[in-house]
Amino acid sequence: MRTTPHARATAGIALHHGSVRVLKTAVIGCGKIADSHVEQVRAIGAAEIVAACDREPLMAEQLAQRWDIPGQFTDALEMLRTTRPDVVHIATPPDSHVALATMALEHGCHVFVEKPFALTAADAATILDAAARAGRRVSVNYLYNFERPALELQRLLADGKLGRVVHLESHYGYNLAGDYGVAVLGDPEHWVHRLPGKLFHNVLDHVLAKIAPFVDDDFTLQATAFRLRADSGNPVLDAMADELRFTIKGGNGVTASGTVSAHARPAAHSLRVAGTIDTVELDYAARTLVRSARQSQPSAIGRLFPPFVQARQFRRNAWRNVADFGRSKSHYFQCMRVLLARFYGAIDGRDEDPVAPAQILRVCRMIDAIVEQTRSPA
Amino acid sequence: MKILVTGANGFLGRRIVASLLAAGADDLCVHVRDRASEALLDEWHSRHPQARIEVRAANLLSRTRLPALVEGVDCIVHAAAGMRGSAADMFANTVVGTRNLLDAAGAAGVRRIVLVSSFAVYRTEQLERGARHDEQVPIEATGIEKGAYAYAKTRQEHLFEEYRRRFGFEAVVLRPGVIYGPGGGRLSNRVGLRAMGVFFSLGGAAELPLTYVDNCADAVALAALKAADGARFNVVDDDLPTCRAYLRGYRREVEKLRVLPVPYWAFVFGSSMLLRYHKASKGQLPAVFTPYIVRSMYRPLQYSNAALKSLGWTPKVATAEGLQRSFRYWRDHPA
Repeated sequence: MRTTPHARATAGIALHHGSVRVLKTAVIGCGKIADSHVEQVRAIGAAEIVAACDREPLMAEQLAQRWDIPGQFTDALEMLRTTRPDVVHIATPPDSHVALATMALEHGCHVFVEKPFALTAADAATILDAAARAGRRVSVNYLYNFERPALELQRLLADGKLGRVVHLESHYGYNLAGDYGVAVLGDPEHWVHRLPGKLFHNVLDHVLAKIAPFVDDDFTLQATAFRLRADSGNPVLDAMADELRFTIKGGNGVTASGTVSAHARPAAHSLRVAGTIDTVELDYAARTLVRSARQSQPSAIGRLFPPFVQARQFRRNAWRNVADFGRSKSHYFQCMRVLLARFYGAIDGRDEDPVAPAQILRVCRMIDAIVEQTRSPA
Repeated sequence: MKILVTGANGFLGRRIVASLLAAGADDLCVHVRDRASEALLDEWHSRHPQARIEVRAANLLSRTRLPALVEGVDCIVHAAAGMRGSAADMFANTVVGTRNLLDAAGAAGVRRIVLVSSFAVYRTEQLERGARHDEQVPIEATGIEKGAYAYAKTRQEHLFEEYRRRFGFEAVVLRPGVIYGPGGGRLSNRVGLRAMGVFFSLGGAAELPLTYVDNCADAVALAALKAADGARFNVVDDDLPTCRAYLRGYRREVEKLRVLPVPYWAFVFGSSMLLRYHKASKGQLPAVFTPYIVRSMYRPLQYSNAALKSLGWTPKVATAEGLQRSFRYWRDHPA
């Protein structure tokens, strides 16, 4: 372990800013997503980041150095014993989540886990049970459920503006020519290839977390996956499918369909929610929510109006986005900031869990089902 | 002498292999991450049929693969580095990969290692306008203030020095400026930045420290074969254009751009405002430019390649010719 003088001064004691107790947070896993955790925890001002921990000392060093974090560790247990954090963020590859999360919970920490929450629903249940036993909060980075259009959707549903939800369509696009795609395709040893659901396993939370609140646990699911990329000649890389389609039917009668596509352009990130009263379409990239067009006037005249109505809705969305920007609420990870504010609020007892444990488990069960049905080689 | 070239599939790495072969090296190992380009291998073999060229595939992040990578090697030319991705990715691919390679090289007793570093490591913020920029300019303590790439390359150089002291191998470092050429980057951010349909011309009258990729590769090959232990070299060509002249040529030969020139004083002021806004808005806009970056990278300096020339290097491709070849390629291969 390496600590700066600041770390030694604060290790083992609660930090206080004025009369408000500031929590101590540690981050385990210092890859690229760790930056977002540190930045957003700092932005909400609810905690002091006291330690960066990674099995690779250089990675712990770089996160600590770039973000001025006092403690650097290569051993999670040593970090927990030395700095005694109140909250641990786990941003490691998913096959380590169960061990690290349960260890942190046993040390009395609240835990925030990067998606995917766990490799399987059984592993997820292990973490959730450990949290319940320890009386600690646990949550997961289902950030897009806290994007502005998603929060607006929650309000519309609470106000009964959509009626009863009958169907959802969730779409997610993936650009394999981007930095992450290049890293995955250029390295057969990349941890994504170890996941049971490979590429999809790492992004399905983004698709399913939006559906899980509406579909009950008694669901049935059909899925198919395939590869559109040309052969690379490497069996590990070629075993990774890049297109997924699925349908879900809940025991409550709500249905959903979804896609993950590496080839459709532009890369989609959207949700369509059809209710018995109205239907809305959410675009997470553009941060818009619009009600679907409907023809309220008769015949040919009636076809003139809907595009104007739609245009007015988009204009309203555009100005709301401008206002958000003006209020500094347009950060790329603003949704994660909202989620973390609620998570830390739940720790303080001010809020409920931002993501219900039952929903986390349901998402993991859906991923299990998709993995099971698409396991055959692409 | 068996020479291993890392990153041999890369923009510079493949030319380093060609330069080494042309300089008479006839026992090479070329490191690739996955598979070597068949066309490249054919070209090297056909031009140098007497040379032994062995392909060794390894991910530098996978430590268990590296003893085999360096086995029997006398000299390593380390050109592999992370050039894209997040700060953490760039750091991992540049620094962690280098540490793994140096561990393996140290254990295997590799005698000589040549590091391809970067101009980004120099601490130039304190230099006077028009000052001479040679190898005497110190390097950054961390490079954090200059962004992810400079941070990773600076840490890489410090690490290299730590390992040189630990294992005692012969160490040579080359620090290229802006490497350009067909297939490479078009508009360095030293020249300016494209945003919102406009190209902001930022470099103005400052000299652009260019090195044509073949010239740079020749420099690396020569240093690998002849430079003294502990030598450090700037790699820039002769007759360097100003950023403004480069941009003018690019617009004339390659593509039309709507250009907004940004005077240096306005750039410093704007970067200061951006940094302030970045902090006040809690990161809503990234502080891609700060006053430190602007003072470090955009002030006119005089770049020296005297040390490299004293080794016997001359740029085979004149800057005018290199620019012409590059512009022609980019015009024929739109981005």
